[in-house]
Amino acid sequence: MHTAAIDPPGIAWLRVSPKYVTVRLVEWAVGNLIVVAVLSLPLLFTLLGWWSWLPRWLAVAVPAFMLVLAVWRLVLIPRQVRAIGYAERDDDLLIRGGIFFQRVMVVPYGRMQYVDISVGPVERWLGLCTLKLHTASASTNAMIPGLPAEEGARLREQLSARGEARLAGL
Amino acid sequence: MTAGGPLAVPGEKYDGEWLRVHPASPFVRGWVALAAIGYFFGRDAFERMLQGEPIMGGQIAGRAPWLLGGGALVLVLAVLGFILSWYFTRYQVTEGYVRVNTGFLFKQQRQARLDRVQAIDIVQPLLARIFGLAELKFEVADAGESAVRLAYLRIDDARQLRATILARASGAEPEPGRPEAAAPEAPEQQVLQVPPSRLIGSLLLSEQSVFIVLGGAASVVLSAVTENRAFFLYLIPAALGLFAAYWNSFHRGYNFTVAISPDGIRLRYGLLDTQAQTLPPGRIQALRVVQPPLWRIFGWYRMQVNVAGYGTAGNNGEAGTRTTLLPVGELEDVLNMLALVLPDPGTDDPLRVFQCGLYGLDSDGGFVTTPRRARLLAPLGWRRNGFAATDTALLMRSGRWWRQLVVVPHQRTQSMALHQGPLARRFKLADLVLHTTAGPVTPRVIQADVGEALALFDAQAARARAARKRQTSEHWLAQAAPLVEPAPPVEHVETGLAPGLDHRASHPPQQEGPQRG
Repeated sequence: MHTAAIDPPGIAWLRVSPKYVTVRLVEWAVGNLIVVAVLSLPLLFTLLGWWSWLPRWLAVAVPAFMLVLAVWRLVLIPRQVRAIGYAERDDDLLIRGGIFFQRVMVVPYGRMQYVDISVGPVERWLGLCTLKLHTASASTNAMIPGLPAEEGARLREQLSARGEARLAGL
Repeated sequence: MTAGGPLAVPGEKYDGEWLRVHPASPFVRGWVALAAIGYFFGRDAFERMLQGEPIMGGQIAGRAPWLLGGGALVLVLAVLGFILSWYFTRYQVTEGYVRVNTGFLFKQQRQARLDRVQAIDIVQPLLARIFGLAELKFEVADAGESAVRLAYLRIDDARQLRATILARASGAEPEPGRPEAAAPEAPEQQVLQVPPSRLIGSLLLSEQSVFIVLGGAASVVLSAVTENRAFFLYLIPAALGLFAAYWNSFHRGYNFTVAISPDGIRLRYGLLDTQAQTLPPGRIQALRVVQPPLWRIFGWYRMQVNVAGYGTAGNNGEAGTRTTLLPVGELEDVLNMLALVLPDPGTDDPLRVFQCGLYGLDSDGGFVTTPRRARLLAPLGWRRNGFAATDTALLMRSGRWWRQLVVVPHQRTQSMALHQGPLARRFKLADLVLHTTAGPVTPRVIQADVGEALALFDAQAARARAARKRQTSEHWLAQAAPLVEPAPPVEHVETGLAPGLDHRASHPPQQEGPQRG
């Protein structure tokens, strides 16, 4: 298992479900393919001869660039999903993510105000869910996507119980 | 106060009884609407009068009854609305809660827990000030609108209510035998005051002045080069806007005084509208001290805080003023304020540590800076970017030109994250971001060595955990408020504080004592 330089040593990361790749693929398709398709319309128009004012190279370059970008994002998805990890410690929860821009976050149980579980349509189909922790700080963007539903429920109960035991004010 | 019953008896004033705000308050709040109605219907007649024509002349004479009738109707409706809104606004202060009911068609009931109070403000807009009224704002930890706004109360009642709320929130037990007794107002001692001359000087030397001078020079050069004078016209609105901004800052920072009382830090300011903020002890989530380049001439600093409930600061908005702990102050003032906010600095030599944080370089005062190998990434700042941890707070400094020092008490850390981008990885660096409530301060340790950052990440988590365990109650009298001797310049403050605490404290600080011997 890949651990990066900023991971605290000696942490056994729990990884999210590999099925989460599918969710990301669907999101990717919805986002990027539509953009590429729309940007390809000028190319189509110039090929059909409707638009003559647009230089051919520009009509090709813009969608091609977006396509390369989209493919690059597509290639990264499995690695990004593998990079997501979380670990429950005695007093806090660690969440990591990212390949190029890595982030390791620690959320103390006592600081959690509430825990959210959300399920989108694709996630429901795959039996996954997304867990989100909220503290009093809006910048705590602690999210664990792609958890199997029963693991999400277990984690939520676990976090709530631990949060209650260690509840601190602001 | 007619409907709330006689308020003269201090004994059973605020317990469980439903009270109403001052009957004049809707008029004070809605005078703009009344003035608009008056203007709308009075303008025509007034203009005729100015032109020397008879007021009821020509065609208007036929319509006059309708106009007058319409005007009267609108006026009556407005006044009726005011009276209804006043009648249906009621508030109650009980043992643990403040409740406010408002609304006539759409009723709203609000309830705020007293032990969650983050700050209490007493605001007096100019008109309210003339009538001796004040608005009370009560913040709980929610970065939105104020939990409770009571507009308007008589100023004495507002002060009394504030004292009661703060006493309940502090956990002070009411006097035996008279449990209903209203709390006495906590005695306070003035700590510092910003003289108007310094305020004006700070505005003249502020960042925006630099841009104005630069912009002015650029436009003069442009007009000389292009021989076009017309675009000076476009500068007029900009100048008006700038004047308004300066006026705002001046008017809000005018007569800024800081006082300390057992209930917390009191800030008072305002030229026409006055405001008195009370920040109870330990409610400050994060703090920063900044020094724009030109302020260095006089050694001035500005202090801003994050308080849960105050929310993020807009540019010139209300929150921008409320989050200012000190609009401009000298080094001594800053150290005084730091001692108030952080009574226990958690280090043996707080003066030196804070001074190094304010203007130091390299590893003076125990700061850990960006390693030398990363000087390409921050050619100016690498010797200054750094952090230092005391037993009670984390200090983060940055900026060679725009000097900044951020202080976060350990027990206020919400969560943390280590960040590392590709470039930082190449130089073996990492950033540590501390998450705090919404506000102007965003604590971030920038470009620290990976090993140092990891060590800090672990140590900080442990320190925050330990600090949270010590802080067991939201009632600030119930927890040990470690009052050690502060930094040398603030001795006169402590002498004022100690008798006040004795006066209010019903049980002495029990848990752990001061950190250092």
